[in-house]
Amino acid sequence: MRINRRDFLKWSVAAVAALKLEMDMDKLNTVMAADTDPPVIWLLGSGCSGCSISTLNVTNPTTIEDVLQNKISMKYDSTLMAGAGENAMQALENAANQYNGQFILVIEGAIPGGASKNNCIIGEQNGVPLTMYDAVLKYGPKAKYVVAAGTCASFGGVAAAAPNSTGCVTVKSLLSGKTAKPVVNLAGCPVNATVMVQTLLDLILTGVPSLDSYSRPSKYFSTTVHSVCPRRETEEVSQPGIYGCYEEIGCKGPGNLSPCPSLKWNNRQGWCVQSNYPCIGCTSPAFPLNPVISVSSHD
Amino acid sequence: MSTIKLDPVTRLEGHLKVEVTLDANNAVASATVAGMLFRDFENMLLSRPPRDAAFLTQRICGVCPVPQAVASSKAVEKITGFKPNLQGLMLRNLIQGANFLDSGITHFYHLSLLDYIQGPQMSPWTGGYTQDLRFSAADTQTLTNHYLSALQIRRKANEMAAIFSGKLPHAANIVPGGVTALPSATEITNFRNYLNDIQSFISSTYQSDVNMLASAYSDYYNVGTGYGNLITFGVFDTNTSGGLLFPAGTVTGGTVGTFNEANIKEYNKYSYYSSPSGQAPASGTTTASYGKSGAYTWLKSPRYNNTPFEAGPLARVWVSGDYRNGVSVMDRHMARYVEMAKLVSNMQTWLDQLTPGASGFTNIGDPASGSASGLTEAPRGAIGHWLSVSSSKISKYQIITPTCWNASPMDDSGNPGPVEKALIGTQVADPAQPVELLRIVHSFDPCTGCSVHVMSPDGVEMSKFVVQPLGK
Repeated sequence: MRINRRDFLKWSVAAVAALKLEMDMDKLNTVMAADTDPPVIWLLGSGCSGCSISTLNVTNPTTIEDVLQNKISMKYDSTLMAGAGENAMQALENAANQYNGQFILVIEGAIPGGASKNNCIIGEQNGVPLTMYDAVLKYGPKAKYVVAAGTCASFGGVAAAAPNSTGCVTVKSLLSGKTAKPVVNLAGCPVNATVMVQTLLDLILTGVPSLDSYSRPSKYFSTTVHSVCPRRETEEVSQPGIYGCYEEIGCKGPGNLSPCPSLKWNNRQGWCVQSNYPCIGCTSPAFPLNPVISVSSHD
Repeated sequence: MSTIKLDPVTRLEGHLKVEVTLDANNAVASATVAGMLFRDFENMLLSRPPRDAAFLTQRICGVCPVPQAVASSKAVEKITGFKPNLQGLMLRNLIQGANFLDSGITHFYHLSLLDYIQGPQMSPWTGGYTQDLRFSAADTQTLTNHYLSALQIRRKANEMAAIFSGKLPHAANIVPGGVTALPSATEITNFRNYLNDIQSFISSTYQSDVNMLASAYSDYYNVGTGYGNLITFGVFDTNTSGGLLFPAGTVTGGTVGTFNEANIKEYNKYSYYSSPSGQAPASGTTTASYGKSGAYTWLKSPRYNNTPFEAGPLARVWVSGDYRNGVSVMDRHMARYVEMAKLVSNMQTWLDQLTPGASGFTNIGDPASGSASGLTEAPRGAIGHWLSVSSSKISKYQIITPTCWNASPMDDSGNPGPVEKALIGTQVADPAQPVELLRIVHSFDPCTGCSVHVMSPDGVEMSKFVVQPLGK
């Protein structure tokens, strides 16, 4: 079922070329020579699995069945994996030890510190409950790269919305000073599938991409929604549900750095403004504002 | 007596733990099912405008966000006495229906099937139990191929929804007042092309696969039978005067009864909450108390007439009369198929009722005050939002999700929750590979992102853990 080495190489070259990136042949050969797909461990904390589901929806640069069979080796993913209970938790521990310093750790959801970290327990190892908080501290420093998938993991998001009684913290804050490379924040509620999968491939092929001041990859998060919105020049309207520009009713597009208008969603079938609703700013560190949208909150 | 602990139960949304004790003959003598994540959604909704709830509550579950938005929007609309026009109702049906199709296919192929076949021998499909695998190598290969093609179908169901919803997960535009999309003739055609593809997969591949499973594992019509009590709030408006494709109702002893919202109460003796037990959802309060003596889960126990009821596709198709065979692991799988076949066919009809370019949205604003419930169905069962508004802000919000019905703990009278009850009595052939337990739990399609109840902020812990200031 695996793609052969030649096809993978061909595909990798195409992916790198599409990104207009310098190809690091030595790096790629090393990846190929490893005789195994780069290992990924995916942990879910205080989140909704929406970033997992979004990732399953990927079509660009490739589909999930291709990613899972040919591009990465998903060593732990509680949504998809066959194993359960002890088998699952052993797979997690074994992968982290076997690929110590080599695997990519993806964290979905924020990390609750409330109730002495017991607001989220991901399973038991040797009969002892492992909290998400301790799991991130345990496996984060062993990872080659750490990716925060979605706004909850990146900035707290809905999981940490006021009053945040579950004490949710971000991946970056919890692992501050504990990782070899900076945590990559893939903001979005959920993360856009292309941003997610392409970033995994970027990490495998070329390393940590250029990041903005919020640790988001600059190539996806350097343009505001408004600056490339196809409705920018259209008439401003006073309510959603009518074709037009929603700046007057608090659209977050002018202040929100996001690839939505260009990448769109779900194989380019839509995005929020296209469905006649203002941008709610879900890739922003401030998401979700109270109210989510209001004229006064617009800046 | 020996104990089996499954933590985590994988292949579901969220964090679920199952623990059973076995008697001398390896039959399950007692079972506890526990939700291991607490998110406090209801508290974060307070003091927000009512229209925010459709967005925030969708983030309870990335697998079935749409029903949360619909339940929330319905609650706000009920306070204002508003009902969306036919265009708005049909758009909601089509988006919610697409979410059902996506969720149902994901459930059968990606969350359940690996309990019956050994998948590809590579991560993440290794490490499952090898006990009681009955399919031939050829059939296993066929089902594995369908596992992969189903990944495309479930993705297409999301893409189909996004034509009218902007995106999934987390639809952009299901709000109080309707749906803001203005479907063009091209978009309607695009939607229909997707729908035809999905309908074809359901009527050919899915139908034959679920029948193959039911044939090879026919003994599972007698496993995981539980109480046999079923409940549904009803879903999918067929007109503007209250008609529903799947009506509300209950089933006890095989007999369909009338659903009465007033009969719902929630109990929390065995949940990590210290607030009063036995309240109606509209008046319930909840104070978190992790480690409370005797408690073992973040889920509360919703009960109907003080009795445990099971929610899900089986409840819907039993009440609607489309499937009335029995209550078991295999009946849950068959019911899901029967429902999806009926749903996908009706979605064709609803699509015909769309008027190109017409609005399905009315700008109703936020109600100033009032209380109401918004009841609908998620793929995995009955979902209710109970909303109170004062000074145009949310003053109370209570949510009962399907998994709270199914994966609830014992109630105050000591009655186990429906999944717990379904586990009790199950014969485990090899306690080192308790696949029977996984099959039972997965047949309910649990989703524990819904451990969401209101709590008072835990002052002690709050002072210790503060989220990194935004913008740093």
